[in-house]
Amino acid sequence: MPEVSPDQYLALFRDMWRVRKFEQALEREFKRGKVPGMLHVGLGQEATLAAIAHSLRKEDGIFPDHRCHGLLFLKGTPGKKIMAELFGRATGICSGKGGSLHSADASVNNFGDNGVQGSYMVTALGVALGWKMQGKNNVSAVVVGDGTSGRGEWHESMNLASVWKAPVFFICVNNGYAISTPVGFSHATEDLVDFAKSYKIPAVQVDGNDVLASFQATQEAVAHIRAGKGPYFVEYKTWRWQGMFSGEFRPAEEVKYYKEDHEPIALAKADLLKKGIASPEQLDAIEKEAEAEIEEWVSYAQNSPLPDPAKATANVYIGWEVESWQS
Amino acid sequence: MAVITTVQALNDALGLMMAEDQRVYCLGEDIGKMGGDFGVTRGLYDEFGGERVRDTPLSEAAIIGAAVGSAMVGMRPVAEIMFADFIGTCYDQVVNNAAKVHYMFDGQFRAPIVIRTACGGGFGGGPHHSQQIEGWFMNVPGLVIVAPSNPHDAKGLLIASIEDDNPILFLEHKALYRQKGEVPEGKYTVPLRKAKVVRPGKDITVVTSMKTLYDAMAAANELEAEGVSVEVIDLRTLRPWDHQTVLESVARTGRAIVVNEAPKIGGLAADVSAVISEEAFSYLKAPVMRVCGLDTPIPFSLPLEKLILPDKDRVKQGILKVCGK
Repeated sequence: MPEVSPDQYLALFRDMWRVRKFEQALEREFKRGKVPGMLHVGLGQEATLAAIAHSLRKEDGIFPDHRCHGLLFLKGTPGKKIMAELFGRATGICSGKGGSLHSADASVNNFGDNGVQGSYMVTALGVALGWKMQGKNNVSAVVVGDGTSGRGEWHESMNLASVWKAPVFFICVNNGYAISTPVGFSHATEDLVDFAKSYKIPAVQVDGNDVLASFQATQEAVAHIRAGKGPYFVEYKTWRWQGMFSGEFRPAEEVKYYKEDHEPIALAKADLLKKGIASPEQLDAIEKEAEAEIEEWVSYAQNSPLPDPAKATANVYIGWEVESWQS
Repeated sequence: MAVITTVQALNDALGLMMAEDQRVYCLGEDIGKMGGDFGVTRGLYDEFGGERVRDTPLSEAAIIGAAVGSAMVGMRPVAEIMFADFIGTCYDQVVNNAAKVHYMFDGQFRAPIVIRTACGGGFGGGPHHSQQIEGWFMNVPGLVIVAPSNPHDAKGLLIASIEDDNPILFLEHKALYRQKGEVPEGKYTVPLRKAKVVRPGKDITVVTSMKTLYDAMAAANELEAEGVSVEVIDLRTLRPWDHQTVLESVARTGRAIVVNEAPKIGGLAADVSAVISEEAFSYLKAPVMRVCGLDTPIPFSLPLEKLILPDKDRVKQGILKVCGK
């Protein structure tokens, strides 16, 4: 296991809070009607997201999933530009044309989420193939949920990544449910590593609410891929706080376990205190700093202009203009 | 000038572009040592190796996805979908990814891919090896559909498509693969989104493409003897298609029919017909007519298939009707 320094541990802790505060602020603004469209937040999955972000380089690729707003800014995009995108503003990272499900940033090789779950798994394969053909050493990381394992692209991308020894990092955030359907109800296995292993891809499971364990598993995965040994699969067992839609459908004892007994930030906090890495006051200060930072982003987004109408017909084709109502 | 088949012309285009540009590579089913079901990639594996002429499993979504992803990081993939009918298995990849990557991320990424695929009926291929599929994609902003009708255009349009920065669906009609024609050696392009008047005429404009172009030409030649002068336009790019060339022609002739092998409902012919009616109504001496395939799947047995698809005689009947004869 790679060593994790106290500074590294604190940095992970800090980013877990930033993800938490971001999603909570976003959810609040969504309920106020300030964020259009649909919203899926990553509350409860902060440890997994921080572990991934801290293991990738800027030049590595990511394909975030629906609950990855945190990963978008942890990858290096200014958080205010992510927040502005989710508010549909001109200052958003995609000028307000992508929104929550399509926020990409080419400058940090974030290739964007996809409205069709798992569709981009083959795109991630393509990025990996392109880099491999170009002799580059980058990792193409794709984040998918458990529900995606039913999709054809899951199996097509894993098979070919294995055959081509393509540098794809398959990140499976298994939060137990595809909207309302439990993993084991609709799949031949509850352990999605089984699928990866059948394609002869090294695959491990980790407690996705344990940030240190997640970080160490991720480090090993990335090292394997960067060494040119081909794809790697990590299944992060975690849990999302929110139902996909309103209303709680999961057993009360399960909700209590994940939101109280096995909640990722509380787990890390207790461990940091136990190990004497930081004082309670220091850890509280980290939380408050994160909150202040996120609220600045919210206010930036709210005060940003709406997109220029010309953007509606821009960048459909390269070299050709689309007929516009205004022309 | 060499006289070669469409297959050889396409092969020539791929070889030239792969030799010139290291970013260009091919992927698809059985395209490597075997050279593809129709031989379009024959010899390329020996010349460029398996990395750049890449055999895949029957994973069409992964073929298109790998093409799009690698294009997003600077490659120039040419993907082959063996039969156009199979494209339903990767429809999401074409419609939601290839065609939208540039727009939804507001220009940060491009997907300069070419999807070559064999389409069209008339040979007893049955319901899943015969279809004309541009209609499935007419409603997809961001996508370009190219469809050559002869070896010269096949080579020039394929080179232009590989050099273009947009995602391109490149339709190759199976009935035209073995057709021969004069093809210049070396590199040249035929412009995208530019139709061609292949036969000038005064009385009526026939707008068509691919195999039905030859039905239209045969009908036009027969009608010449009957005193009807028919202008024939080969669209060459089916979406977005060249409004200007078509509308200028209709302004001269005052009559138009649109001939398309695909089913009539909601297809390319419907769009061409609608644009002529919207933009050139004052020039029209008669309503625009569509001569298309019937609203049926393609049956296997040849005499049944013949009942479904447009042919020279149906084009001729259409022309005479629109001309009031």
